[in-house]
Amino acid sequence: MDIRAQVSMVFHLDKCIGCHTCSVACKNVWTDRPGAEYMWWNNVETKPGTGFPTLWEDQSHYKGGWELKGRDGNKKLELKSQNKIDSFVKLFYNPNQPGLEDYYEPWTYNYANLFEAEAGDDQPTAIPVSLITGEPMNIEAGPNWDDDLSGSTFYAENDINLEELSDEEREQLFEIERISMMYLPRICNHCANPSCVASCPSGALYKRGEDGIVLINQDVCRGWRACISACPYKKIYYNWKTGKSEKCILCYPKLETGQIPNCFQSCVGRIRYLGVLLYDADRAAESMKVPDKALVESQRTAFCDPFDPEIIKMAKANGISDEFIKAAQLSPIYKYVMKWKIALPLHIEYRTMPMLFYVPPLLPVMGKMANGIYTNALDNFFTSLDKSRLPMKYLARLFSAGNEDIIEYVMKKLMAVRYYKRTLDMQDIDLVMMNKMMREGGTTPEEAEEIYRLTAVPTIDQRFVIPEIQREESIESTCNPEICKGSCGIGVIQPPTRGL
Amino acid sequence: MTNTLLFIVLPYLAVFACAFGSIYRIKKEPMSYSSLSSQFLENHGLLWGSLPWHLGILLILLAHILAFLFPSFWQTLTSNQVLLMAIEAIGFGLSILCLIGLVVLGIRRLTSPRIQAVTTPMDLLVIALLLAQVGLGAAIAVHCKWGSAWCSGTTTPYLWSLVLFQPDLSNIEDLPILVKAHIVCAWFFILIIPFSRLVHLFAVPIEYLFRPPQQVVWNNSRKLNEETPAFAKEETRRHFLNAFLGIGFGAFLLSVGTLSKVFSFFFGPRLSEKEETELMEVRLAHLESTVDQKKLELERQASKYIMVAPITELNPTAGKYFIDYKMQPAIAFKGKDGYPLLISAKCTHLGCTVGNKVDSEGRILCPCHVSYFNIETGQPNAEAPAKTPLGHLPWVIMDEQGKVMASRDNKGQTSCFVQPDALSAGKVYIAKSLEDKTT
Repeated sequence: MDIRAQVSMVFHLDKCIGCHTCSVACKNVWTDRPGAEYMWWNNVETKPGTGFPTLWEDQSHYKGGWELKGRDGNKKLELKSQNKIDSFVKLFYNPNQPGLEDYYEPWTYNYANLFEAEAGDDQPTAIPVSLITGEPMNIEAGPNWDDDLSGSTFYAENDINLEELSDEEREQLFEIERISMMYLPRICNHCANPSCVASCPSGALYKRGEDGIVLINQDVCRGWRACISACPYKKIYYNWKTGKSEKCILCYPKLETGQIPNCFQSCVGRIRYLGVLLYDADRAAESMKVPDKALVESQRTAFCDPFDPEIIKMAKANGISDEFIKAAQLSPIYKYVMKWKIALPLHIEYRTMPMLFYVPPLLPVMGKMANGIYTNALDNFFTSLDKSRLPMKYLARLFSAGNEDIIEYVMKKLMAVRYYKRTLDMQDIDLVMMNKMMREGGTTPEEAEEIYRLTAVPTIDQRFVIPEIQREESIESTCNPEICKGSCGIGVIQPPTRGL
Repeated sequence: MTNTLLFIVLPYLAVFACAFGSIYRIKKEPMSYSSLSSQFLENHGLLWGSLPWHLGILLILLAHILAFLFPSFWQTLTSNQVLLMAIEAIGFGLSILCLIGLVVLGIRRLTSPRIQAVTTPMDLLVIALLLAQVGLGAAIAVHCKWGSAWCSGTTTPYLWSLVLFQPDLSNIEDLPILVKAHIVCAWFFILIIPFSRLVHLFAVPIEYLFRPPQQVVWNNSRKLNEETPAFAKEETRRHFLNAFLGIGFGAFLLSVGTLSKVFSFFFGPRLSEKEETELMEVRLAHLESTVDQKKLELERQASKYIMVAPITELNPTAGKYFIDYKMQPAIAFKGKDGYPLLISAKCTHLGCTVGNKVDSEGRILCPCHVSYFNIETGQPNAEAPAKTPLGHLPWVIMDEQGKVMASRDNKGQTSCFVQPDALSAGKVYIAKSLEDKTT
C-alpha cells in the first residue's frame, strides 16, 4: 500500500445558482494574460448543453482519457489519444486537439470609437475586436454560449449524454417551456490516475506528492500539446502566445499559506467543499480496470479510512504529516464520498479517477407536470424518481458511468433528508410516511441531521479543511530544494514570454 | 580566402554557436524552449504543411547522416545500380514532399491573420532558409545526378576532415556552385538554430519512450530521502547523464585522431618487405648519429684543451658561441683589456641560452624572461628573474707550437708570458687543467 493524501473537492449542485462568480474570480487572478484570454480554468456549464469547449464530452472526437484493453486477468489501461510510438508523429500534427473554433475567439470592444468617431448620422458603437489579431470580428461563440439553455433547446439537444434517452424521455425533457436544467461548475479534477500526466512527452506534467495537485512545469513544457487531447475534461489549455500548456493550479500558492482557493472562496451559493482524502496510490490505476458500471464503487475501494490506526501508521511511514492526517479526519469530502456516499465523480468512465465529486441536483427532479399544470400536492410532495423531469439515465451518464442504481441511491437519500427536515420543521407530513422515506433512503435521523448541517448551515471551517503545509520542508514546488538551495528569487524568474 | 571563410571558418563558428547557444538557452531561458505550435490557431493548413514537411525532412536528414557516419556502408549501398536509382528517386520524391509542406506552411504563415499574430521575423527567415536549402537539394538531385554516390568521395571526406580538425577543401573545391551553395546554406542553418524556433530539434522527447506513465514530485524532504522515484531525482540523474554524454562525445571527437592511428595499427595495411628494410635503415642511421655524438662528447672530455677561436676573431660586442667541457653553451668576447672574456651562456634562471650581442651598457640579454647580464661581472640586472651571476670560464692562449702565451684561471688571475702584441697570433682555448681547479 502506498498511502497518499489528496486535496479533493465536493461541489453540491443543488446549491449552485449558475452565477459564474467562481469563473470570474479565477479569470481575474490567473488567466487575464495575453494567450490565456480564452482559458477558463473554472467554468460553469448549463446541463443539458454542449459545454466548453463545444462537446468536450465527445471522446470519439477528442480521444481523451483511458481505454480498458486486454482480457480478464490481464487488463490494462491505455491512453485513448496516443500510444508511445504514434505520439511521435502526433508531435507534428495532433488530429484530436481542439482548435480555437472549439472554444471561441477572445475579444474586447473598441471603446475608444465611442469618443473618437467622426460626427455622423448614426450613434457610434464599440465594435468587437479580436484579442488575437486585433482586427474587428464577428462574435460567433463565447465561453457560456449556451448559458441557461440560451433561450432554445438547440444546445441542450446536442448534449452527448442524452444519446441513450428514448424518444418519450426526450419529449418529456424538452417539452417547451418546461425544460429543466442544472448547472455544472467544472475545474481540473486533479485526478489520481491522470491521463494528461501520462501523455506528456516532455514529462512536464506531474502530480504533487503531498497534496495531489496536478501541475505543468512551464520550464519543461515544450508545447507538444499531447495533454490537451489526453485530458478528457479539456481542462488543459494551450497558451497560443507562450507556446506552452496551462491548467488549473488549485491556487496552490494560496493553499500553501492556509488560504482558500479563489473559486471556492468566492462561491456565492457556498456549494464548494475542500478537504483531504487519503487514498492508496497502488490501487489508483488498478481500481479503474473494471467495467464502466462498477467504476464508482471500485474508486471508493481505493480510498482509505483516516481513522483506521493501521492506515495512519502506513500514512506516516509514507511521509504524510500529522497535520494532513488530522485534516483527513475532519474532511467534509470523506463524509460526502465515503461516509454518506452521496457525492459522485464526473464521467468516471474516462478512468482518470477524478478527485472532484458532485452531489447530484435534486431540484429539477422534484417538480411534476399533470395536465399542463405544475403540481406540488402534499400526497406527492416528492414525485417518484422514474417520473422525474430530468431522467435518471441522464444523471447516471454524468455521474456514475451509466449506473442508475447509484444515482437512485443518492437521490433517495437526499430526498429522505429533506423529508426528515420538513417533517421536523413544518410538521405537515405524517411520521409513518417519513419513516418509510428514511428507510427507502437508507439513512437514519442522526445521519440525516449530519447531512443537513454540513449541506445547509456549515461554517467556513467546516467547508474548507485545509491542512497546514510544512513550509520548512518544502521550498519550491517546481525545483529540487537541493538544486535551488542558496539561490535567491526562487520561483519563476523568467517572465513568461514567447521564445524566438 | 572566401573558400576558407565559407567552408572552414563558418562551419566551426556555426557548430560552436549552435552548441553553446542552445545549451545557454536551455539553462538560462528554459521558458523560451518550445515547439511554438500554432495548431491551436490554425488547424487545417498545418495538417497539409507540417506533416509532409516533418516526415520528408526527417527521412532526408537520416540519409544524410547515414552517408556521413558510415561512408563505406553507404558506398556499398550506392554501388548497386538498382539501389542507387531507388535512393535517388526516393530522395527526390521526399524533397518535393518537403517543398510542398514548406510552401503550405509559408502561405499559411503569410495569409492567416491569426498566425501572423504569433509570427516573428526569425520565423520568416527560417522558412526562407529552409525553402532555399531544400530547393537547392532538389536542384542537385536533378542537375548533378547520383549525388548519393559521389558524396562519398567529396562531401563526406570534407566533413570528416572538419571533424578531425584537419580541414581539407581539396575534395570539394571543384564541386559545382549548386552543391557549394547547399553546403554553405546548411552551415547557416546550423548557425541560426539557437536563435530561432529551430531549438525544438533538441527537444525531441525520446525519454517518453522509457518513462513510467505517472510522475509524482515530492517537496517534502522526509519523503525525498526515501526510495520513491521523484521528479527531482530524475532531474539530477538526467543532468548527470547529459553531462556524461556531453563529455563522452567531446572526448570521442578529440580522440578520433588517436583512435584512427590505433585502428590503423591493428587493421591498417601491413608494410612491404622493402618498406620494412627502409624503416630499419632509417632507425640504424638514427642510432649511428647518436653514437657519433657520444663519441665526440667522450673525446672532448678526454682532451686537455678545447679550441674556442683564434684571438683575432673575438669581438667586444658580438660574442662567439662555443661548447664547454660540460657540454654547456658559453660565449667568448674580447674584453676591454684586450684579453679574451669567456662567460657561461646558460642563464642562471631557467637555463636558456643567453644572447651574444652586447648592448650599450655592456650587457647581454637572456630572451626567455628578460634578464640582462653584465659581461664584465656576470651580474644580472636588479629586476631580472635570474638572481645569481653567470660564471666566467678560465682560458689559455697558445701559439701554433702549443706554447702557452697567456692564461687566466678560474679565480680571474691573468698571467701573460709574452708581449701583448704577440697575442694576436695565438688561439684561445679552454683548458681542462685550469677548469679542474675550480671543482
